[in-house]
Amino acid sequence: MNKVLVITLATLGATGAIAQTPPAAPSPGRLLASNCFQCHGTDGKGEGTFEKLAGKSSGEIFNELREMRVENKRGEIMTIHALGYTEAQLRAIADYFARQR
Amino acid sequence: MTQRREFLARLAAAAVAAGFPTHGLTDDAGPSRTTGAGGSTAARALPSTGLSGRVVVVGGGMAGASVAKFLRLWGGTGIKVTLVEKEPRYTSNILSNLVLTDTVAMTSLLFEYTALRNSYGIEVVQGTALSADPVARKLTIGTPGGSRVLDYDRLVIAPGIDFDYPPGLETDAARAAIVHAWQAGPQTLTLRSQIRAMPAGGVFVMTIPATPYRCPPGPYERACVVADWLKRNRRGAKVIVLDANPAITAERVSFERAFSVTHAGVIQYVPNAPVDFVDVGAKTVHTPMGAFRGDAVNVIPANVGPALLRDLGIANAARGFAAVDVLDYQSTAAAGIHVIGDSSATTQPKAGHIGNQEGKVCADALLRAFGGGQPDPSPVTNSSCYSPITMTTASWLTAVFAYDPSTKTMKVVPGASAEAEGASTGHFEDMRIWFRTLMRDTYA
Repeated sequence: MNKVLVITLATLGATGAIAQTPPAAPSPGRLLASNCFQCHGTDGKGEGTFEKLAGKSSGEIFNELREMRVENKRGEIMTIHALGYTEAQLRAIADYFARQR
Repeated sequence: MTQRREFLARLAAAAVAAGFPTHGLTDDAGPSRTTGAGGSTAARALPSTGLSGRVVVVGGGMAGASVAKFLRLWGGTGIKVTLVEKEPRYTSNILSNLVLTDTVAMTSLLFEYTALRNSYGIEVVQGTALSADPVARKLTIGTPGGSRVLDYDRLVIAPGIDFDYPPGLETDAARAAIVHAWQAGPQTLTLRSQIRAMPAGGVFVMTIPATPYRCPPGPYERACVVADWLKRNRRGAKVIVLDANPAITAERVSFERAFSVTHAGVIQYVPNAPVDFVDVGAKTVHTPMGAFRGDAVNVIPANVGPALLRDLGIANAARGFAAVDVLDYQSTAAAGIHVIGDSSATTQPKAGHIGNQEGKVCADALLRAFGGGQPDPSPVTNSSCYSPITMTTASWLTAVFAYDPSTKTMKVVPGASAEAEGASTGHFEDMRIWFRTLMRDTYA
């Protein structure tokens, strides 16, 4: 029985195939939101970045993005970014940043 | 209990032999450290996700560093990451053209691996990949101390580009006399010296290779800032741009304006001019459009996939780059091997900003795989870039790509692609913010 236990623990490390509980699912909107980190900082945090997004209200972020789409000022780089996503994706991105502290 | 402790001790000993950090095995709390250079790199609180897996990353540039960081930041301490990089630190290509004009200091382009090591617990090994066994999932690397074999569950290859030199640039001596400075570092400083050695009324000849090449707007930016420097410092000097391509390949409106208005009378743009031969002694570049002699000559050779891709059997796209599935960047030629950054052949441009994005998509896909799931079916990436037009003004370009299931490629989202309407000092300031934030998102 002890040998079986050792072998089980060894394979667990190698492939993660035998899980006791399901691994945590990726945070919704996280991969989409990571598109924004290059300019707004990892998780929307940091000093000296473009507008800080971490902890802003989801409604505020979403409304700003939607307004950019409506105003369609092509000379502003954020307008182009805002036009790259569906409204559902923008909502997921806004929710993600709202959850960051 | 005694048996379990003994077993964990044996696992830890094996990990040390294999080169993995041991603190992640037996406890999650890493030591807190700060370094003098570049601020605090205290250990981050990494999440506890229940995921486990071993990833080896080859290449510590924008893509490799990003995939390594986000594997740990999102995957937690059960994800062991080893990063193999041949240089002791990363030198940014982004903004390196501004070193030529002394607008930016070379030291501000140097990025250490300290945070990746200390904040994220990534094992950064100085070395080069030699060969892989994709069935046994082992990578053999060469290090200053000898060769090592690294076990992996997934291998991520991000070694960037290599060059296909034109006739006349076959020897080391020739390549040291006429540099490309398309991998920032000593060559950037050599080119800077050569420009400074130009006389008033002198000629700077530069060549642009056929697409695909890394950083589409980069060569045009170089022509612009060198022209600006020459106008200020070497009266009457000229810049001749020999472009292998039929037209400007990026930010066409911005650069056509820059060439014909902003730098009128200084820049001569010659399209359809691939390099036939470089006469190093005569400082002359021969093309189908004529022979051009310069006081300083800069030849950017055709960009090709590095030899490592051939050695690993994954150089299956044009010019020796690697074809991949853009949902997870897995090589279409070898299971378990992923290729990101400039080495991959996709519809996305070769650029540091995109390499960072591809690193994140790849990290997310690997973590889903370790959890027994499938990649995100709808990845989105963006490629943004600020381009200096003079030593004080810049323009920008950006494009958002979304996965198109019918072609299995990343396609530009209609309407989500544009260049700046004009160059400005405001955009130049934004460029500095973008650079600083992008590099921190990748290396800090």
